[in-house]
Amino acid sequence: MHQPGQAACTGDALRAGIGLRQPHYAEVIESKPPLGFIEVHSENFFADGGAALAVLHQARERYDVSLHGVGLGLGSAAGVDAWHLERLERLVQRIDPLRVSDHASFARAPQSPGSAVLHANDLLPLAFTPAALAILCANVTQVQERLKRPILVENLSAYLSFADDSIAEPALFAALCERSGCGMLLDVNNIMVNALNEGVDDPLAHCKRYIDALPPGIVGEIHLAGYCETDQIVIDDHGSRVRADVWALYEHALRRFGALPTLVEWDTDVPPLAVLTGEADHASMLLQRVAAGDTVAA
Amino acid sequence: MNTPVEAERQRRLMAQLLASRADASALPTRESGARALRGLQAYRANADTSAARALGTAFPTVQTLVGAEDFEHLAREFWRAAPPQRGDLGEWGAGFAAWLSEHPQLTDWPYLGDCARLDWALHQCERAADDAFDAASIARLGDTEPELLQLDLVASLALVESRWPIGMILDAHRRDDAAAFAAVREAIAHSTAESVLVARRGWRAEAKVVDAVTTAWTRSLLAGEPLAAALAAAGDAFDFTVWLTQAIQSGWVKGIRVTRD
Repeated sequence: MHQPGQAACTGDALRAGIGLRQPHYAEVIESKPPLGFIEVHSENFFADGGAALAVLHQARERYDVSLHGVGLGLGSAAGVDAWHLERLERLVQRIDPLRVSDHASFARAPQSPGSAVLHANDLLPLAFTPAALAILCANVTQVQERLKRPILVENLSAYLSFADDSIAEPALFAALCERSGCGMLLDVNNIMVNALNEGVDDPLAHCKRYIDALPPGIVGEIHLAGYCETDQIVIDDHGSRVRADVWALYEHALRRFGALPTLVEWDTDVPPLAVLTGEADHASMLLQRVAAGDTVAA
Repeated sequence: MNTPVEAERQRRLMAQLLASRADASALPTRESGARALRGLQAYRANADTSAARALGTAFPTVQTLVGAEDFEHLAREFWRAAPPQRGDLGEWGAGFAAWLSEHPQLTDWPYLGDCARLDWALHQCERAADDAFDAASIARLGDTEPELLQLDLVASLALVESRWPIGMILDAHRRDDAAAFAAVREAIAHSTAESVLVARRGWRAEAKVVDAVTTAWTRSLLAGEPLAAALAAAGDAFDFTVWLTQAIQSGWVKGIRVTRD
């Protein structure tokens, strides 16, 4: 296994990627905008055949593809669904992706003791406890052994946390990566959303401390996205431009980790492709400045 | 490692996501009061959105029939009645048609369940394997008795039989045409039964109303009956040569195989 967290960008890879979503399928295939890579949600391509899978094969001829899952439920105490893992393995074999990733979340649990295991189809929050970490490590190891490759695990935006949390999130990821051999997919927007929901005094400084607490070398990819404020809570809706505070945090991450593969996600109220690629272009400019040794504005 | 503690924690959150009313007070969260409730509601709202989006994609005719607002209510209700067990929402909804048929508030729409069955067949058609046609296997028709042959249809092909005019209903809602709706009302009043063949043209699923002979024939093939039995079920009025030509041109046939020596 290669080390997923040590893949710093060079050359053409100093371009950010975008999440490829259905409204942009045809335009991306036809116009082939300059992108470092494209990323898709793995579960959208689990079908046996059909148009979506054909589009993904076409996209694969033009770009490196990253498979980003939202449904493995890597922190589920009920374990990883064998059906899900079989479908993912088949997709990995079909697409030969650049990277495979999912989230530090749970999705599978019964509704009542002893009943069937359900799938929430959401990124549900984990407790930050030694037991939750052990479950996460076991499930990640199972997935990596099946796929015969390391995966990246993304930090979550969580709307609930648990009173008995006993491990700081950066320490949890450091331990996960050390024990399982996986890498971290660092979502800087999620760090900011959590800080805002926590109500800390200086969210940007708080988030920078999070990044500074991560060991160098574990981060294999960075995600950027927009968030929205609602009553009482900030929602990680991936429905707008990357906020200024998140760009600032991204620049801080680049200063700490160097140029890393970067993705801009936009999943709701999907804009014209040019708006999304414009956001990716900005990320690319920052990546190229870091790679050239320029100081990114603080 | 205390796995049972984490399993129970996760079960409790899952139960609160599916409960009829949001109540975060029993969850062991760091947040409390209104803030904890708002956090729980964020996840419950995600589930509502996922339910409506997934079922709206799979059941567009039902969505149009009942209206967007009522459909969202039905989707939320179905999510809690039959929650997903897998992480691919494209696979969730197989039981929606039967659930609609038995819904006590939908008794005035006795055809709704069959319309949902047709929607689901169209949805599955577009997700089915891209079966290739084994052209060489057609030679078996010339060298093997029909009793020993089976004609395999592609995985994307399906037949939906109903005692209601489901093909007309589908067509009227796709065309959104007043005359078509008038014809549908008349067909429903006369209890016009229809069978619909679902097949892919390109990547899109299409629906075609078929006659009783084609229905019997297709039903037999989909049941895996030998070619001779399928021909017998179709009867003398069925022209196999004409059908085979059309089926090959339309991409309905996967191949012909010998079932026994």
